[in-house]
Amino acid sequence: MATYDFLFSSLGLEDWCAEGQSDGPMSMADLLQKTQGTSNEPDSLWDTPFPSMDALNESCAAFPKSRELTKGLEEGFLSIKDSLSVVLDPLTQPLSWALDGTLHGMLNTPWWIVIPVLLAVVFFVTKSWKLVAFVAVSLCLLAFIDYYRYAMETLAIIFVCAFLCVLFGVPIGIAMSRSDMMQRLTVPVLDMLQTLPPFVYLIPLIFLFSVTESKLYGIAIILYAIVPVIRLTNLGIRLVDKDVIEAADAFGMTSNQKLFKVQIPLALPNIMAGVNQTIMMSLAMVVIASLVSAPGLGVLVLQGIRNLELGVGLVAGLGIVILAVILDRVTKASLARINASQNQ
Amino acid sequence: MDRNIKISIRNLYKIFGPDPVGALEHVRGGVGKAELLEKHNHVLGLKDINVDVHEGEITVIMGLSGSGKSTLIRHLNRLIEPTAGEVEVDGENVLQFNEDQLRKLRRERMSMVFQKFALLPHKTVLENAGMALLVRGFAVEEFEADAKKWLARVGLEGNEYQYPHQLSGGMQQRVGIARALASNSPIMLMDEAFSALDPLIRSDMQDLLLELQDELQKTVVFITHDLDESLKLADHLVILKDGHIVQQGEPQEILMYPNDPYITDFISDINRARVLRVRSVMNKTTEEPEVCAGDISDRDNLESVIARSDGDTNLTYRVVRSGKQVGILDMKELVKALVPTEASEGDARSRY
Repeated sequence: MATYDFLFSSLGLEDWCAEGQSDGPMSMADLLQKTQGTSNEPDSLWDTPFPSMDALNESCAAFPKSRELTKGLEEGFLSIKDSLSVVLDPLTQPLSWALDGTLHGMLNTPWWIVIPVLLAVVFFVTKSWKLVAFVAVSLCLLAFIDYYRYAMETLAIIFVCAFLCVLFGVPIGIAMSRSDMMQRLTVPVLDMLQTLPPFVYLIPLIFLFSVTESKLYGIAIILYAIVPVIRLTNLGIRLVDKDVIEAADAFGMTSNQKLFKVQIPLALPNIMAGVNQTIMMSLAMVVIASLVSAPGLGVLVLQGIRNLELGVGLVAGLGIVILAVILDRVTKASLARINASQNQ
Repeated sequence: MDRNIKISIRNLYKIFGPDPVGALEHVRGGVGKAELLEKHNHVLGLKDINVDVHEGEITVIMGLSGSGKSTLIRHLNRLIEPTAGEVEVDGENVLQFNEDQLRKLRRERMSMVFQKFALLPHKTVLENAGMALLVRGFAVEEFEADAKKWLARVGLEGNEYQYPHQLSGGMQQRVGIARALASNSPIMLMDEAFSALDPLIRSDMQDLLLELQDELQKTVVFITHDLDESLKLADHLVILKDGHIVQQGEPQEILMYPNDPYITDFISDINRARVLRVRSVMNKTTEEPEVCAGDISDRDNLESVIARSDGDTNLTYRVVRSGKQVGILDMKELVKALVPTEASEGDARSRY
């Protein structure tokens, strides 16, 4: 007899409960209890269990156990998985191509082309020789200790994912800024994406896609890193000076002219701050994504943990820090350049 | 009036709140601003506004903050939709315009100058000045000459390639004015255009506006909360209080014959010698005065006449307009006119 027997008897559900009676498989806890011969009946009010699914199941066998909830969810997911894959697979295939192509391209181009090109890009966006020198020294250091290949893999993944985040994130942010309804619908999703522990993204993705496909980690990184660019685009456009918008209206701008000639240029500092955050978050996720076969420095960190190779793990970690500093400084410097051209 | 009516505002109402049309019935039924807010939770923005804006004149709408003047000017180009009433520009009802017509109106027939300048911070002064033309789809090269001409006209030669934040407030507002002029629209709406500037620069800008107005004869609607400014600029003065018009007319007329204690109170602190003009205090007659101390223009202000007479109240001047005598001015009359309309002032003081 269990605590909540009275509930079912008072509701007249005993027959229904009896139907569910079976001598079928029991949980480990049940087995233990049986062998130890202890009763489930609480000794005092102090020990009364919460009327949870498991506690109710003890009183009425037909009532589902909580394990059946998670199991049901799993089965539900597995049953729609195939049809979901049919839709998602072709849709996301370009992501695999982009990732594989960029990785292939960056790794098969000789270092004496890749490094100068990267330095040229740094100079183009920051116009700062100091920063170029810093990046050059950092990259050469990584290459000198034979981490060049891993670092380039990580960089290639970040470039592709951050680019796609901006490509999708900015339009979503613009749509949010233009409609309060859209904002109300999107914010909860963004909140969820931002608060879900990064590992949780990986679980459904592993079921949906094969681990050998690069889009698996690509999607995980994009979902994790796209949030700041969406949020800050929305915020930036909403923060554009109302007086300037009014002037644009008063001079008869169409809404497209307003968007491209006023709102986006004035929101650019905020959008760039979002891009900076997005890049940093891609870097954080690319390490975790090495659990699902993302190449790069994360693999070495994982190797360090798995094989207890302290040195490998530490140096790889240091490499990640160097990449983070490079990416942060370069994006911040270009942000500062935009700010300088339009401070009010 | 000898000039055409350019903009005509008829029975305009604006009520802010969740159900403005319902609240309109209460207002028409005689509910006041405070009561409407308290009982019906709606804000009365504008109440039964009727104004004719004449072509080529500066119409000044004056009122304290909260009187609805900024709301009113935004109805002219429909940045704000009215609750009821009509706004006609060149005989066309603006409120019936569709989006395209409205955009055309804003692009080609009306330009606006803002209190906070509202320049595009990421564009150069030149591009800002040509904004109206940029919006119409012209390339920078096409309007460069035009924009430069107007920038030079407002005194900003050599600043074309700077950014707005590199300029002082007064210079930024000059860009704002050049932007409005470059659009080549016949109507200019100026929303507290000089209120954010310090007094010296404000006075400069007022002179600039009058000078431009002499030359260009635009139809200007000017909003201000500053009585001195409105008296200096206005051809036609509209005084707004709590969303309704207290008095409108020629500024001199309002000064000499205020019809409301609110206005009397308002004008009691101004320097009457500077704002009153000879034509408002002279005796209209074509008879020659017995002893003539000299000729003065009917547009002179009293201050300059006092300076000329050296304070002697026994003189009489002949008032001439374009060479012909239109009246005579006794200095004693002049001195009397300097005292504010006393009866109504006492009245006003006891009421407030």
